[in-house]
Amino acid sequence: MTGAASDVRLVPARPLVIAPVDVIFRLAPGDRPLVAASESVVVGAPIAERLRDPGLEEIHVPTALEPQPGGRWSGPADGRDGLESGELVFSWRGRWRVAGGALSDPLETPFAGIVRGVRPGTSITIRAAGRGLRGIVALGGPTRGRLQGSPDSELRAGGLDVNSAGAILVVGSRVDAETLTRARAMGVRGVVVTGLSSKERRDYLASEARQRSALHRLPPFAVLVLDGAVRRPVAGAVLALLGALSGHEVAIVTDPPMLVFDIPSLTVPTPPADLVRVRGGALAGREGRFVEAIGARRFPGGAHLEACLVRFPDGTTAAVPLGDLERFV
Amino acid sequence: MTSEPRAFLTQDTGAATIAAALVGRVGGRWRLIGSLAVPAGADPTALAALLVERVSAVDPVLAAALGLDRTPVEELPRVEVASHPPRRLAVVAGSERALVPLVAAASRSGWRTSSASAETADPLEMSTLLLDPGVNGILAGAGDPPAADERRALGELGALVAAAAHRRPEVPIVLAGGMAGQLHAFGDVADRPARLLIGSAARLGRDGAGLRELLTDAALPPDDARRALGAAAVALAEVLDRRIDVVEIGFDGGTRAGAWPGAWSEAAAMDLAIVPSAGLAPADPDDQVVDRVATWSTSTTDRHRLRDRMRELRIAPWADATGEGVALRLAAARAALSCLARWTPEWADRPAADLVVATGGTWAVASGPSVALALVDVLRRAGAAQFALDHGRLLAPLGSIPDAGERRAILADLADDLLAPLGTVVTPGGLRHGRSVGALQLHGASGRREHELRPGGLELVELPPGATAVAEFRFHDTVRLGGRGRHFTIDVTGGLGGLVVDLRDVPLRLPERADLRGELLEAWQSAVRTGRDA
Repeated sequence: MTGAASDVRLVPARPLVIAPVDVIFRLAPGDRPLVAASESVVVGAPIAERLRDPGLEEIHVPTALEPQPGGRWSGPADGRDGLESGELVFSWRGRWRVAGGALSDPLETPFAGIVRGVRPGTSITIRAAGRGLRGIVALGGPTRGRLQGSPDSELRAGGLDVNSAGAILVVGSRVDAETLTRARAMGVRGVVVTGLSSKERRDYLASEARQRSALHRLPPFAVLVLDGAVRRPVAGAVLALLGALSGHEVAIVTDPPMLVFDIPSLTVPTPPADLVRVRGGALAGREGRFVEAIGARRFPGGAHLEACLVRFPDGTTAAVPLGDLERFV
Repeated sequence: MTSEPRAFLTQDTGAATIAAALVGRVGGRWRLIGSLAVPAGADPTALAALLVERVSAVDPVLAAALGLDRTPVEELPRVEVASHPPRRLAVVAGSERALVPLVAAASRSGWRTSSASAETADPLEMSTLLLDPGVNGILAGAGDPPAADERRALGELGALVAAAAHRRPEVPIVLAGGMAGQLHAFGDVADRPARLLIGSAARLGRDGAGLRELLTDAALPPDDARRALGAAAVALAEVLDRRIDVVEIGFDGGTRAGAWPGAWSEAAAMDLAIVPSAGLAPADPDDQVVDRVATWSTSTTDRHRLRDRMRELRIAPWADATGEGVALRLAAARAALSCLARWTPEWADRPAADLVVATGGTWAVASGPSVALALVDVLRRAGAAQFALDHGRLLAPLGSIPDAGERRAILADLADDLLAPLGTVVTPGGLRHGRSVGALQLHGASGRREHELRPGGLELVELPPGATAVAEFRFHDTVRLGGRGRHFTIDVTGGLGGLVVDLRDVPLRLPERADLRGELLEAWQSAVRTGRDA
């Protein structure tokens, strides 16, 4: 078969591995950046101090100090201004509004890299050393741990043990909020899952919000969702990559939602060019070889959709809407 | 296009769909030869090649006449547009009252909005909002002149916004109305990388058009597909000499472009509303989104399941588009249309359009009559209008042709091809409940047909595409149908859905109970699919 109809490029492509990876760490007014642009950072290096309960104070700042919005301000040692230090936010009627607070948490980078930009009150951007596997969403904060687990099994709350402390677990197609909460309590650093339903997401976020409102600092923990909100097997290409990463230190970051790994010697297997994965519909989760585009077909519900022929490993073929397919590149 | 090609390609690249069409010179005029739409993420070159390959296979003589056999696909001239993802605008004002028209103006000018007023947010919250890395623009506004409740806060608000502008020089700033009086706080802005713009005060309706146009300019590049729909609507209104409404629902937003032809000394004109919240698949399906979709859902899915499906729709908008997926998309499309109507309230007071054109990737999975029903379900007003579908997604690319004369000439050639007729919908308003409200006599080429009109449902009359007829309505009581009266005679044209007499309430009243509502919606949708009255 030759010609455009045999062109697998008609199937939407999804990058398997992304490089370079620029990660954004959000800051709020008052948070104190500890790094500067162009600096190198190592794993675990503190990059900022985040205020737990920021407030705004009116303070007279001598003009001789040439204050600018976003600049840092340090008060006199006697603390008569109410703040020891803070961030200059804006000046109004001769007095500066300074954001500051008594308690702060360190923000650490879970990967090594080079600081690309620092914008007080807005963000720090770091280019990670290494590559990334993109997810749909990541809940929680940046974290790091040893990747372990089996993507083809489902993890239940009772299945967790202390051996998983410090690890990032790959848990397969779906996970519930109770398991996530217990995993965090047992010192697990993160969870990678294919699908997380809206209910479990809501319950988990509510649990995390309750934890955050407590005064003690939360250990770093994140949930990386690879595919969506419904149960679906891990894609073969992703499975192979996660298998290769098993036992290695990896990081989860939230913006963009991604699993970051820095293993230069790791050769990521290139999926066959015509390998396609069925993402939705009755055949969801199956993988096969693209044969050819076969034009518009009528599918259940009366929808006329552009379709193609896919041959599955068991030798069967099926007409699948192009929109139900994806391929990794 | 400065040369004289025999064929060219159009391409409309959306967030979810890539649509390509092949236009060729046949019999001395431009004709639509073929079109294709595939999910975004596919290679556009492969899409164009497949389109040309299919044309060549079906009609090799035509392909040769258009030069497709000797011109590589890559060398075919192209008219391309892309819809850009909406960006976020932080909207701030001195009072909640002043904030409302500002948010309304921004929400229909291509921006997603986050807003705060000095009345309800403290300076730290407001600074956090303006410095958020997800914010791409800032609109600070006040009345002109500022009202008493906002005047006191303007000085501090101006200082706060100026400080944010200093820290984020890449972000465009718009000072609207009385807020322009705080310009001095920004210092010298000549060297600022992003523009600082002065706009008129935000007002609802036509009076606020100045600020809305300014915000649209700042939101989207001139070649954006949604902006091009405005120019296309004007050209279509001029070519057809009719009032046109173009309604687009896409993955990341919706568009409403109303255009009317020139008359006497007045030139043709249009009103364009680009509403990001009227997208098919909002990024975060919160409770409001789920409620809106549930209102139009034909099945009684629980809220968590519906939210999951909306999330999946966002992640892969083309996946699972068969079976129940079609119903979900039509419910989501109606929810999006209701958002579009919410941000364009003054449209309801205008004379009804003669022709309503539906466009956008959303409609790709629905049958023609279902598209028309979705539009009349939500954008309801008493009157009669023809409905058509831009099935090849040509309107936006053709609207992007810079020369107005050339745009009109090509649209004049292509109007018949690019608009798939869906039929005529007649919606009388102010009907009384009862067994019968009147009768319809249809005088057409096949003779005279008579139909009794029963309130509360849809009366479907077969009238194929291309056919014309005269519909004579005689109501027992006075109704609204353009004007008020009992006797109306309307020229109607056929389409895939024929003539639909919509005898339901204006606006539509739906049962509170989800199961009853779902049954009723399903009955109406099934009626237009099968052509039987409901």
